[in-house]
Amino acid sequence: MNRREFIRDVLLWSAGLTLSIPRLTITESFAASGPSLLAVEKGPDHVQLVRRVLASLGGMKNFVRPGDRVVVKPNIGWDRSPEQAANTNPVVVKALVEEALEAGASRVLVFDRTCNEERRCYTNSGIADAVQSLNNKKARVEYIDNRKFVPVEIKRGKSLTTMEIYKDALDADRYINVPIAKHHGLSGLTLGLKNSMGVIGGRRGMMHFNIGQKLADLATVVQPTLTVIDATKILMANGPQGGDLKDVQIADTILASTDPVAADAYATTLFDMRPDEIESRLRRTKWDSGKWISTR
Amino acid sequence: MRKRIPRVPRTFWRRLSQWAFLLLFFFLFIKTDYTGSDEIEYAVNILFRIDPLLAASVMLAVKTFVALMLPALALLVLTLILGRFFCGWVCPMGALIDLFHPLLKPGTKEIDTRFPQMPLIILLFVLVSAFFGLPMAGYFDPFSILVRGLSLSAYPALNDSLATVFTFTYQEAPPYVNAVTEPVYAFLKKTILPYSQKVYTLSLLSGFILVAVFLAERIQQRFFCRNICPLGALLGLTARAGLLKGHGGSDDCAKCRACRSVCRMGAIDPDRRIGMHECILCLDCLEKCPRGIIDFRFSKPVAGPAPVSLTRRSLMASMAAGALLPMFTGSRTIARLSDPLLIRPPGALAEDEFLERCVRCGECMKVCIGNALHPTFLESGIEGMFSPKLIAQVGYCEFNCTLCGQVCPTGAIKALPLEEKHTFKIGHAFFDKNRCLPYAKGIPCIVCEEHCPTPEKAIGFNTATVKNDRGEEIKVKQPYIVDRLCIGCGICENKCPLPDQAAVRVTAAGEQRHPQKTIPASSMDYY
Repeated sequence: MNRREFIRDVLLWSAGLTLSIPRLTITESFAASGPSLLAVEKGPDHVQLVRRVLASLGGMKNFVRPGDRVVVKPNIGWDRSPEQAANTNPVVVKALVEEALEAGASRVLVFDRTCNEERRCYTNSGIADAVQSLNNKKARVEYIDNRKFVPVEIKRGKSLTTMEIYKDALDADRYINVPIAKHHGLSGLTLGLKNSMGVIGGRRGMMHFNIGQKLADLATVVQPTLTVIDATKILMANGPQGGDLKDVQIADTILASTDPVAADAYATTLFDMRPDEIESRLRRTKWDSGKWISTR
Repeated sequence: MRKRIPRVPRTFWRRLSQWAFLLLFFFLFIKTDYTGSDEIEYAVNILFRIDPLLAASVMLAVKTFVALMLPALALLVLTLILGRFFCGWVCPMGALIDLFHPLLKPGTKEIDTRFPQMPLIILLFVLVSAFFGLPMAGYFDPFSILVRGLSLSAYPALNDSLATVFTFTYQEAPPYVNAVTEPVYAFLKKTILPYSQKVYTLSLLSGFILVAVFLAERIQQRFFCRNICPLGALLGLTARAGLLKGHGGSDDCAKCRACRSVCRMGAIDPDRRIGMHECILCLDCLEKCPRGIIDFRFSKPVAGPAPVSLTRRSLMASMAAGALLPMFTGSRTIARLSDPLLIRPPGALAEDEFLERCVRCGECMKVCIGNALHPTFLESGIEGMFSPKLIAQVGYCEFNCTLCGQVCPTGAIKALPLEEKHTFKIGHAFFDKNRCLPYAKGIPCIVCEEHCPTPEKAIGFNTATVKNDRGEEIKVKQPYIVDRLCIGCGICENKCPLPDQAAVRVTAAGEQRHPQKTIPASSMDYY
């Protein structure tokens, strides 16, 4: 079984298990051949891992065109150190920013709306330093500016009708989502689409009611060009904030896909879980004529 | 012929010094914040540590020597040599008062101090009552009033006003306006504005007290310094015995009394003699004297004006007030039942000693990165007003932050090493199952659990099958507190998505500074 078959099977399998409830419909986009749907690489050199996953998807130039304004959106949610694996690995973020710059991006913005105090998160995650160490004026780490949340109508939403979304995320030509794969009390795991919560304003706690549906709804408006899941270190318990090194496992894996659901689905297997075990958009998101839509 | 260099008035140096210290004060004030490092570099707390009034009050109250306040001795020694130079040349409150004076000065100048005995009465009262267990120095100390008024009121108000202006330009103004305003705003944010907008209880009151000090200039110049300031009184008493003496009018003098009418402190009597108790060495009289005969030099005592002193009656009365008032503290309900929501910062000493040490400077609240600390109103008695307490629903205590203990000038909040802070229990969270969504409404939530910062989470959950309001049977995760792990940081209460009162609330139960408040728990050793 090759990788592609595996993923297809995983998705079909999860769809099969959830036939009784709203489900992910497997459509031609998954079956279609062409450039890889999803790339997975393992190894201890994380910069190389980023390069390799991008290469198997046709290289960053496939996603970032010269002059593009790019957002790289890691998870910087917590006042935790890189070893504690609560935030995206700064090495991975830096490598992605570098790749985007090399592909000709005119600007690469890195930000997240944090859960703990912003400055502590940006500093202690190592992400601010990592991006600044590039010494490139085009690469910027910015704190959230509350003036930039704009109300967005979620036309195809089932559980959400409007949402305040960060302007820079909406305006970007390319949006690269870089979650870290980790344990999450409510939703089982937090992966790609959960990471999109970092661009919404207001009282985000509300997202937790019916989180699967709401994340699916959110995915109809925040659509990443590329999802790169950082599973170099994964948090197996006490997530999403962690804090205990005993809960951190070295997985040395990075996966990337243009399809956020496929990326999330594959990532569940790193935790010995099945895709349908996460209270999730996997059940409720449907690919329909080139767009993700929510189903009930 | 050589050009004559214009003479610099001697008051210039005093003004320069006032400006320099005022700017230093503002620099330290702005720096009293998280700056990317867990250790704070500069903090405005040095101002409180050189304050002999607060030092005396704190040491009398706790009846031990407080090494943190040793710098106050240096100020006393300097005052013994130079007189009240501090009030005229250094004090940021004095500098601000002088700065505002031209805007507020009354039409006719009042020369004699309105209530010359008042500062001494306040001083005695404050020290005696501190000794007997009712610490009040923070209400009258100029730095406490100043830093508190700025931190809790003026500074957040300034930030909010500017944010309103720049949000308007950002959202409504054309791009060519924003090309100017946005860089200006970014610059202000980077330099003088706080990182985030904060809100405080007692914000208006703190601001009003500070404004009142300035408004009192309408009554007479340096009204606060002459009629209220107990620190000034203490420095004045020291200066009276000091080495530097003012030599005022003599028999050669034309008795014009220009010196007396220019004096901002009412320190010069009709015989043109200078009282070193009041004189703050502003040097205005030197410049004003038409014959230039006024002089300050180290000398043997010279005949001065009759020194301000308390009548025996007011001396006794202020001491009696200071000694008697504390007797009533035991008659209040808080002597038996402390406020259940009075959560003190991590590292705070046991309540009595905490209040004896706390000088109400507001620095912990200024530096609190989560906007968790707020001034108490009457929850801990009149002597507790403006002392810090945690209001979790406004802000929570950031797990990895130890700044409040680092800036506390008196050790009322111990500076905790991070590891100790991580397990320092300031309170305890309780779920209200009538409100908590998974319990009350069958709605999945556990936002609290997600945010709980202890490495092994202090919030666990059980999975239960309940009916929601559609009548559907649904599996939800119902959270509970793990008693031995909860430190009372309040992030659960803060992040609870209910629109009003959170469904999980932190109280002072179990706070480790009071062992008698330990909560019964079956998981604990003594059960």
